[in-house]
Amino acid sequence: MTQQSLGEFEELVLLMVAALHDEAYGVAILEGLEEKLKKKVNISAVHVALKRIEDKGFVKSRFGGITEDRGGRRKKFYVITAVGKRMLDAQYELRNSIYKQIPKISFG
Amino acid sequence: MKINPPQRALQFLRWFCREDYLEEIEGDLIEVFEIEVQQSSKRAKWKFAWSVIKYFRPEFIKSFKHKEYNAYGMYKSYFKIGWRNLAKNKGYSLINIGGLAIGLAACMLIGLYVHHELSYDQFNEKADRIYRADMEIKFGDNHMNIAVTNPTFGETALSDFAQIEQTTRLRFYGGFLVKKGDVNIREGNVAWADSTLFDVFTLPVIAGNPKTALTEPNSIVLTESVARKYFDKTDVVGQTLTINNTETRKITAVIKDIPSNAHFHFTSFIPNIEDKSASQDIWAGYQNWNTYLLLKPGVDPNTMTTELNRMLDRHLEPDLKKFVNKSLAEFNNQGDFFKVSLTKLTDIHLHSDKPGELYANGNMEYIYIFSVIAVFILFIAIINFMNLATARSANRAREVGVRKVMGSLRHNLIHQFLTESFLTCLFAMLLSVGITYLSLPLFNELTGKSFDFSFLGSGSVIFLMIGLTLVVGLLSGSYPAFYLSAFQPVAVLRGSKGYSKKSVFRNTLVAFQFSASILLIAGTLIVFLQMEYIRSKDLGYSRAQKLIINNIDQLGQQLEPFKNNLTQVAGVEGLSVTGFLPVNFNRSVNAFFPSPTMDINTAISIQSWIVDENYLPTMDMKVVAGRNFHKGKADTLSIILNEAAAKFLGWGDVLEHKLYRLTEKETSPIAEYNVIGIVKDFHFSSLREQVKPLAFLYGEDRGGLTVKVNSTDMASVINNIEAQWKSISPGFPFEYSFMDQDFENLYKSERQIGNLITIFASLSIFISCLGLFGLATYVTEQRTKEIGIRKVLGASVAGITTLLSKDFLKIVLIAIVIATPVAYYLTYQWLQGFVYRISLQWWVFVGAGLIALGIALFTISFQAIKAALANPVKSLRSE
Repeated sequence: MTQQSLGEFEELVLLMVAALHDEAYGVAILEGLEEKLKKKVNISAVHVALKRIEDKGFVKSRFGGITEDRGGRRKKFYVITAVGKRMLDAQYELRNSIYKQIPKISFG
Repeated sequence: MKINPPQRALQFLRWFCREDYLEEIEGDLIEVFEIEVQQSSKRAKWKFAWSVIKYFRPEFIKSFKHKEYNAYGMYKSYFKIGWRNLAKNKGYSLINIGGLAIGLAACMLIGLYVHHELSYDQFNEKADRIYRADMEIKFGDNHMNIAVTNPTFGETALSDFAQIEQTTRLRFYGGFLVKKGDVNIREGNVAWADSTLFDVFTLPVIAGNPKTALTEPNSIVLTESVARKYFDKTDVVGQTLTINNTETRKITAVIKDIPSNAHFHFTSFIPNIEDKSASQDIWAGYQNWNTYLLLKPGVDPNTMTTELNRMLDRHLEPDLKKFVNKSLAEFNNQGDFFKVSLTKLTDIHLHSDKPGELYANGNMEYIYIFSVIAVFILFIAIINFMNLATARSANRAREVGVRKVMGSLRHNLIHQFLTESFLTCLFAMLLSVGITYLSLPLFNELTGKSFDFSFLGSGSVIFLMIGLTLVVGLLSGSYPAFYLSAFQPVAVLRGSKGYSKKSVFRNTLVAFQFSASILLIAGTLIVFLQMEYIRSKDLGYSRAQKLIINNIDQLGQQLEPFKNNLTQVAGVEGLSVTGFLPVNFNRSVNAFFPSPTMDINTAISIQSWIVDENYLPTMDMKVVAGRNFHKGKADTLSIILNEAAAKFLGWGDVLEHKLYRLTEKETSPIAEYNVIGIVKDFHFSSLREQVKPLAFLYGEDRGGLTVKVNSTDMASVINNIEAQWKSISPGFPFEYSFMDQDFENLYKSERQIGNLITIFASLSIFISCLGLFGLATYVTEQRTKEIGIRKVLGASVAGITTLLSKDFLKIVLIAIVIATPVAYYLTYQWLQGFVYRISLQWWVFVGAGLIALGIALFTISFQAIKAALANPVKSLRSE
């Protein structure tokens, strides 16, 4: 597998999955993102991103137990994989290194 | 209050979304909804719907391909499971397969019969262009529809109209004796035919030239089998046959045997040109010829009919002037007319039943009856299958539950159940072919036809059978398949009522089954009773112990000695020489006039039979007024009428009167008859018709000799008579028949139909009972424990039997209520076809209901009593 790409929103979702660790499922991710981004996000966008990063192998999923709410539907929990973590690290490294090259300019 | 997310949107999501994502998406959507709904339910609903729509994108839409991945493996499994299920429940499989097989076999036989009846005359290449000219004649009080025309009708039409390509005539000749070695053999199906016979009908010629075959007098055309009978080969053109021991005929052509589905079954043809009357230019009489017209392609038969009527009128005019001294206009103004109509060749067999038909035809009514019976039988068998499958659903429910839990989708289950039903149908079809094969000889005997098994070879039949298997499989399998596959796994696995014990649908089907059976029972009873009525009806003469001897005309001078010798034979009570008998078709109609002015308006057409002085006592007919003929010359101008004729004439005292008729003699053109006696009405044609006016004239007709026998040893009387015959006329075959048998033959088709209906009705009842038996077995099995407990608590055998039978009997009672009016209506319609008929009795329908009830009770109680007698210890321990 060559260099995998990761879109901006996908990266945010992946970060959120990593941040929520074992508690990451659709709505939790949605709420986390909305809180951080301070804007409304549609759940479908989250699902699209989740499916994509799962296909790319950055996260894996499992079903949780049946609960009383959600109409009896099980939650699907996502956990970041080693590949995903490495991807995040690489992204972070990349951004950091570029960021460091920025001359110290003061904007007053 | 809890607000649910919009169901419509959720359904839409479920419809398109791939199953592996569905639960997560649904769950998340609902969770989001539940949060949002606390602020605004309306907004939340909109947002929910909007989100659902946003999922409608390729990643989330179901793949349409994923079903195919291991279809082969699944079908292999379906077959294996299907086979195991059949093998496991041998009893049910036997009932299902056996019932379906019997039903299919019955359908196949009926199909053969119906197809054969519908295929009449279709073998003619020009069948769609051949029409028979029929006449309708109204003449004073005579009104008749006949299948025949005057001699020159066809010939004239051919020369007058360019639309007509060819014409040909047929007329029944009767029989003659053909000499083979020293013996004479009777050939009974001889026809007069025109030389154009082969231009119109498709009768393939094996040897000889069809163009010239019937152009010379004393020639004869034989069918293949007749040629083989006398020469053992078919290449016999140019050879001669000795006919009636005196004349010789030259064989000019040999044709293939006429197919059994032709409306005539002649075995030899002789040329019409020998018959002088066949070329007479008479239009107002001599209607004796079945005339066929071959129209050119594209000619409309309706316009042709109009044209032909014009032609008929033109030629009638001079005849009417000559015979009744009236112009056509005057004739028509009296309300009298001659009309011609065209009957399509292929309609003759099923739609035409007129005087003058060459052979007795079939009846469309019976085709309908049989088709309905076939459909009934098939439905009854299918219903059995459906009922047993759904009834057994309790046993299968668990299987369905487990399968669903293991991931089986609904369509997998449907496929599985359909595979099972197809498998059952396939076995049933194979079995039914065997049953058909075995029952064909019997069926042939019953129908008087000769079907063979070769019909199976044709591609269309095989195609039809495969089609039928699939249709029956689908029909019988679909309900169980959809019903069973809809079970909720949780409900069935928990053992609660995922299925209902009482199925309205099932009960409806059983009610339908029994309605059909009761209908058939009632129909059969009515047909049977009507046949019995005909058989036992006082016909006005006695047909018991009457021997009819044929070929009397061959005796010549030997007739008187033969008669004298016969009276010496022990057991012979009387004899009469005449061919006019109540049971055969030697008939002659003459116009009689009540006054010597011969006013055509007063003419009546009367059957006039030529008989001798011994006729009335020999036939046991009663003279109600006047006297019988005396032997000798004195009574040659006497006439005896039947009651119908006397009533028709409407005179106070008929015996005082005279009747007149035209003769062929130039010297005395009018013959005057004294009415000397009146004979009690007797039936001389089918009981479907009213007794017609009839007159006996004194004379000699050598069409047959009837011997009245009074002996318990019929065989020895016949032997003695035969010995007399042999001593007087060596070389002629001694042929005889019994009058009661001839009478039976008159009603042969009715009897055949009656027998067939009885058999198929019994079959349908049998199949119904098979189903009921299966259901009863199942229900008792289900309630084994209940019965055990009831017995322990002191229930009686009778009580338990009643308990188990009650539900079924209720259904049968409902079926009786449904079937009775329908049966009444249909049998009433059928009986309208008979002038002499039984009246519909209420007890017939009650009887039919009771029979159905009785059979159902018998079937059910067999199981019920078995269950009731069972030792409760066993049933309660059976876990």
